[in-house]
Amino acid sequence: MEMADTMQVTVSPHLHRRDETISRGMRNVLVALAPLGIWAIIIFGFNVVYILAVSCITAALSEIVMRKIMRRPVTLSDGSAMVTAILFAFLLAPTTPLWVVAIGSFIAVVIAKELFGGLGKNIFNPAIFARVVLFFSPLAVYSQRYARPFFWKTTGFFSPVATSINNNVSSGVVYKTLAGNSTSLVTAATPLSLFKSGRLLPGIVTGPTPVGSTWVTSSGRPNVGGLFLGLKSGTIGEISILLILLGGLYLIYKGTVDWRIPAGIIGAFFLLTLVTWYHPVDNLFGGGLFLGAFFMATDWVTSPVTRRGKWIFAIGIGVTIFILRFWSARPEGVALAIIIWNPLTLLIDRYIAQPRFGEVTNPLFSKLPILPKSKPVPAAKSAPEKT
Amino acid sequence: MAIKTDHKTFKGGVHPPYNKEMASSQPIKAAPVPAEVIIPLSQHIGAPNEVLVSPGDKVTVGQKIGGSEAFVSAAVHSSVAGTVKSITEITGFTGAMVKAVIIESAPEQPEFEKKAGADLDAVTGDRVREIAREAGLVGMGGAAFPTHVKLAPPQDKAIDTVIINACECEPFLTCDHRLMLERASDLVSGVKLLMKAVGAKSGIVGIEANKMDAVDEVRKAAEGEPGVSVEVLEVKYPEGAEKMLIYALTGRKVPPGKLPSEVSCLVQNAGTALALYEAAAWGKPLYERVLTITGPGIKQPCNLLAKIGTPISTLVDFCGGFRGEAGKLILGGPMTGWAQKDASAPIVKGTSGVLVLTADAIDVGIEQECVRCGKCVDACPMFLLPNFIVQYTKREEWDKAEMSGALDCFECGCCSFVCPAYIPHVSYAREAKAEIAALRKR
Ligand code: SF4
Ligand code: SF4
Repeated sequence: MEMADTMQVTVSPHLHRRDETISRGMRNVLVALAPLGIWAIIIFGFNVVYILAVSCITAALSEIVMRKIMRRPVTLSDGSAMVTAILFAFLLAPTTPLWVVAIGSFIAVVIAKELFGGLGKNIFNPAIFARVVLFFSPLAVYSQRYARPFFWKTTGFFSPVATSINNNVSSGVVYKTLAGNSTSLVTAATPLSLFKSGRLLPGIVTGPTPVGSTWVTSSGRPNVGGLFLGLKSGTIGEISILLILLGGLYLIYKGTVDWRIPAGIIGAFFLLTLVTWYHPVDNLFGGGLFLGAFFMATDWVTSPVTRRGKWIFAIGIGVTIFILRFWSARPEGVALAIIIWNPLTLLIDRYIAQPRFGEVTNPLFSKLPILPKSKPVPAAKSAPEKT
Repeated sequence: MAIKTDHKTFKGGVHPPYNKEMASSQPIKAAPVPAEVIIPLSQHIGAPNEVLVSPGDKVTVGQKIGGSEAFVSAAVHSSVAGTVKSITEITGFTGAMVKAVIIESAPEQPEFEKKAGADLDAVTGDRVREIAREAGLVGMGGAAFPTHVKLAPPQDKAIDTVIINACECEPFLTCDHRLMLERASDLVSGVKLLMKAVGAKSGIVGIEANKMDAVDEVRKAAEGEPGVSVEVLEVKYPEGAEKMLIYALTGRKVPPGKLPSEVSCLVQNAGTALALYEAAAWGKPLYERVLTITGPGIKQPCNLLAKIGTPISTLVDFCGGFRGEAGKLILGGPMTGWAQKDASAPIVKGTSGVLVLTADAIDVGIEQECVRCGKCVDACPMFLLPNFIVQYTKREEWDKAEMSGALDCFECGCCSFVCPAYIPHVSYAREAKAEIAALRKR
């Protein structure tokens, strides 16, 4: 009888679900994101590729350096840095200058992820964190000028285009191309900013509709088909609702994403816009709602683990987006809502009870001590009361 | 995502690859009597046994060699005729040291003499309990809890339903499947004995839908037996776990920390029911059992009737030896079994199989940081928070580990099966349980 000298002795179970690894989960996300990237290139030209490349390279380098410094194993192969980099890029305007992209990607990986302790310990979704930091920084202006779809027809498909400050023009912003500052590019309002500025209130069309915006019909009403397919201005990743849906469903099918989170966010938000009749369709398809609901809020690390927790988290985000869009001057709010709810995840997981099998009582809150004790607690001596 | 079927089931759980076809068509064969059996003195959960023989003693098949006065215990019998060689400490299958009786088998092995003429219809419930105790019966699905103790539930808890766990939800194993095919009517007799012992009016045999031939056999055998029925269950792991099975079949939920008697149920494994029949009808103590020798690392997978105390190596050799590079040798099923460092350990009453995985078929990942994906929470059939049990155990925060459900974890392994970070939750849960128990004692 021959037997290997080294029989492996490990704790049960001795089987593991096929393909259930962190890197496979990340790969699924990358596969789901790919069509969005391709669509963005079609709509916004090759500039998107430059942005994605800079974001990925910066993320990879930062991760390697940080892990070396922090003496952690370099785990690039798990793909999480790539996912962060691409998601971050997808949140940017298609003409964001590359140096701003690099700064943001660095913030995402170094500050939001590694300084918090690495993948699994971060409290904020790194991509969203970096986006929100940019949003509140002086660099904000660079990442939210939305050139209109197919602007590359004037500048050339491969020509890099970047938002740039120029005090000589009235808006203070121009688009820099290889050929110099472009004046022929038109900044298109995103669907959401349009009705925010009062031009798209139902029935009242005031002011001019943006020239050439494919998503608006000549009467100034949104062209729902265009909004859904992605013929509109916006951030790189958010424009095609159709492709986001397809990618999201793929991730749900693969088990990478829990359907409860997108369903809760979109459901709660849509319901509120319906009840208040606050541009339900534009609000649903116009901005970053779908990208956020399917790809950002579903981040494993920064969303709750229990089903009940997921519903609370998702509905909370949906309501928060509504509040932000309804009452603040800004048209968006998805990123902000997610970043608000990310840290609450820890509280939800800790204090929202998940009744065990056979438990008769069904309390909403668990009995965990409200103030976390820093020391190991010998109280277990007296604690074990059974339910 | 779980595939919805009409079959009864529970919530949570996983769908591992079953690989039952390797051995399911192999009829039960008798394994050879080894030159020497190593019989651990205590093979059950409960009080340890006293040794009743000394080196040099001659023993016969079925002779009691270890027993205890304590109620929660199960006697141990010699599985061969022969001479006691020594009583020594061996490394048991869990890795802990256990006392064992080593018996050299005589060259002539007389057949066990079946007691004839037992009138099973006339035995009383009390007598069934006695029989179970004398025969040293334990749960044969792996837990090895003494059967007669289960048959004596608290006075105030009347049992109305006996449930026979014939799910065999562990992948690879097929011994219960074979028993049902080959000995359906004896199984049904065993069910009736169990019903009598606890005064239950109904007996349900729960079988997973991947064994429809067994369902037919047992249904045929149960025809005309009042109260005995067969139910088909969804193929899902751990369908055969006590609480899950009770819920699937009756809709009753056993509360955390409570026993099945709380909801008027008694669960016994199919093998145990058969062993009870053999004990009652033939006077045969539990000294041999049917188990499955299987896996990609075994040349000829099969189902064997083997003597308790047979070294694993004897059985593996009988099945043609290892195939390929054996990487993991597991006593029991792949989800809850115990990995062995070599093939020297003996099989015991609770051993339902010997599984050999080849080196290339093993998926042992490196334990990583939890990424909080929640897959373990979704999979846990007890609705616990496996990731938090791990986290609090690491931090030695035992009260919080308990609140996350550590004590209710029955180590099914669903959580680790789905964990992309390859975290061995079961090992942490065991640590937490031991620590919490120790804290409570203080
Ligand atoms: S399955 Fe693993 S990685 Fe996912 S939450 Fe559970 S322990 Fe963490
Ligand atoms: S925590 Fe325990 S009961 Fe729950 S899945 Fe894991 S091993 Fe099974």
